[in-house]
Amino acid sequence: MKLLTKLTLFSTVSKAVIALLFVLLLPSMVERVAFNYTNYLLKQQEKKVFATIKKNGIDYYLEGDSTYGSYTMLKEEYISLERNKLLLTPDTLVTSKRMIEGDTLVYRVLIRNFEYNGNAYTLEIGKTLASINQYNRPLQRIALSVLLILVVLTLVMDLGFTQVLLKPLKRIIRSKLDSPKFPYNEKLEPVITSTTDFRSLDEALINLMHKITDDFERERAFTSNASHELMTPLGILQNKMENILLSTQDADVLEKISAMMKTLGRLKKIVNALLLISRIENRQYSRQDVVALSPLLSEMTEELQPLMDDEEISCTTNIPGNIVIKQANHDLLFQLFYNLLTNAIRYNKKDGTIAVDEHFMADGNYVITIKDTGIGIPENVLPHIFDRFRKSASSGSNSNGLGLSIVKSIAEFHDLELNVSSVNGQGSSFAVIIPQAMIDRVER
Amino acid sequence: MRILIIEDERGMALEMEDFLNKSGYVCDLAFTAKKASQFMDDAAYDFILLDLGLPDKDGLIVLDQAKQSCPGASYIIITARGRVEDKIKGLDLGADDYLSKPFSLLELQSRMQAITRRKSGLKESQIELGDFSLCLNRRVVKYGEQEIDLSRKEFDLLSYMVLHKNRPLTRLQLSEHIWGNLSDDDYDSNFIDVHIKNIRKKMGSYGDTEWLQTIRGVGYKIKL
Repeated sequence: MKLLTKLTLFSTVSKAVIALLFVLLLPSMVERVAFNYTNYLLKQQEKKVFATIKKNGIDYYLEGDSTYGSYTMLKEEYISLERNKLLLTPDTLVTSKRMIEGDTLVYRVLIRNFEYNGNAYTLEIGKTLASINQYNRPLQRIALSVLLILVVLTLVMDLGFTQVLLKPLKRIIRSKLDSPKFPYNEKLEPVITSTTDFRSLDEALINLMHKITDDFERERAFTSNASHELMTPLGILQNKMENILLSTQDADVLEKISAMMKTLGRLKKIVNALLLISRIENRQYSRQDVVALSPLLSEMTEELQPLMDDEEISCTTNIPGNIVIKQANHDLLFQLFYNLLTNAIRYNKKDGTIAVDEHFMADGNYVITIKDTGIGIPENVLPHIFDRFRKSASSGSNSNGLGLSIVKSIAEFHDLELNVSSVNGQGSSFAVIIPQAMIDRVER
Repeated sequence: MRILIIEDERGMALEMEDFLNKSGYVCDLAFTAKKASQFMDDAAYDFILLDLGLPDKDGLIVLDQAKQSCPGASYIIITARGRVEDKIKGLDLGADDYLSKPFSLLELQSRMQAITRRKSGLKESQIELGDFSLCLNRRVVKYGEQEIDLSRKEFDLLSYMVLHKNRPLTRLQLSEHIWGNLSDDDYDSNFIDVHIKNIRKKMGSYGDTEWLQTIRGVGYKIKL
């Protein structure tokens, strides 16, 4: 999930949770506030009553009577003052029912006992619960709508700010990770941002990319230099031997020089193969050729025909003439199939067969199989056949163990997949799987 | 034929000189680009063999200048960097051919001969080979008037041996010529032997192939 999506999701969900919590808590909170406020109000009224009594005497209320009662028109509030012989209830604040003029209503009641001029009095001030709670709903509604407006407002602000905040990151990803192609030879522009984290990330990436490119270039240069340094002495050796061959008549010397030359040939092949692999891995080859498969393979089998005839191996190729491989390097593909085919010849039996076939897989990829009836590959060796310098017991000194490594490098360079299956003693089958996107059909 | 060898690697230059002298060429050696331009100012050459990796100047610049001071010469560039770009650039600048180090001296000579043949415009370069005749331009071998059906590789092999007749040729020299730098890992290939066997069989049914000799432990030789 993208960072922006995550942040958006988080702030939306967190705000929703807060709003929900508020909605759940609001009624009880409002009720509590109203309740406490009523208590406070009742106490204030009590103070007022006592202040009046102190100022004007109790008869201000009682007017000589033993009780006094007063209530508002809708009986929402009442006050009563009564002279008592004995204390009925202790001082308290209580919610209880009172009957006033035939109506029984639930009141929040303040009860206060006091003495005045030697007489005991009880003061009751009440307020109906209904009147206490009458503002709850509108209050809640207003609070809710204010909350909602605030939530939406902060959400919009949050998201807007997050987007502005993350814009440099987006630019870093686009300019450093998505668009550049390795090797990074174009100049890398730093992303301008005031966020130091992003700035250091960007700088680190630029440094890293420069370093990788430098290392890559150095390896490239090394390959080139190593090739020069190795090839020149090899060339001098070869030329010296050639000159000796031409200047001697001595059969013994001839034979020895010839054997030396053969060893030199081995050395050259190894160096050449290593350089080829390193050049492929350094991507020093272009992939701009369109290679017609059938001519490529038939040219190859034609050239190898004498060798197959000599071993009485018969080879069948069933590749339709209209299949071409795009985005390929002709020489490397030739090398790949050449190595597979010569392997199929070398490890075959006398009078054996080689079959080069093709088919499309269900997912549209194209497969070329080269199947021989040779000695096969033991199961424990199978996973290692593409390793460098890996030789099977059967190949002996006839192989430098690089042929299949080259095949693998070329396959990886072209994004081809290789599949090997083998039955020991009965033969091997190499499958080269070519992605659908690289396959095309042309009119012949 | 007069040849200028521009090569900073003395060991290699001396071997090239030795070989080419024996083949009847006259050689001058230049180990630096500076020395080379002095030589080119003083004399005209038929061939200039130019190593692109000179210490004092980029080989491609040397080639460009040499083309102006010695326009009549043929150029073979020698590269050790193995870079395709260098070869292409060299050929674009007017080199006639290129060789990658390490190369066989026989290969060098046959490239030079091919350039000479091409430039002299000889329509027909026929070589007698016992009872047979070899036509290099048309790439056919004849017995009398009868054409013998040789494969491309077989013809390459035969003509290479004919060009270097009376010299012992090793399997390495022969296989490098017909297969180039193809990287299989089969260095003990009997491929050359198979080809020779086929050549003997095909030509032997027409006439005598005594001239194609096997040298035990070495390779083959055409003795004429």
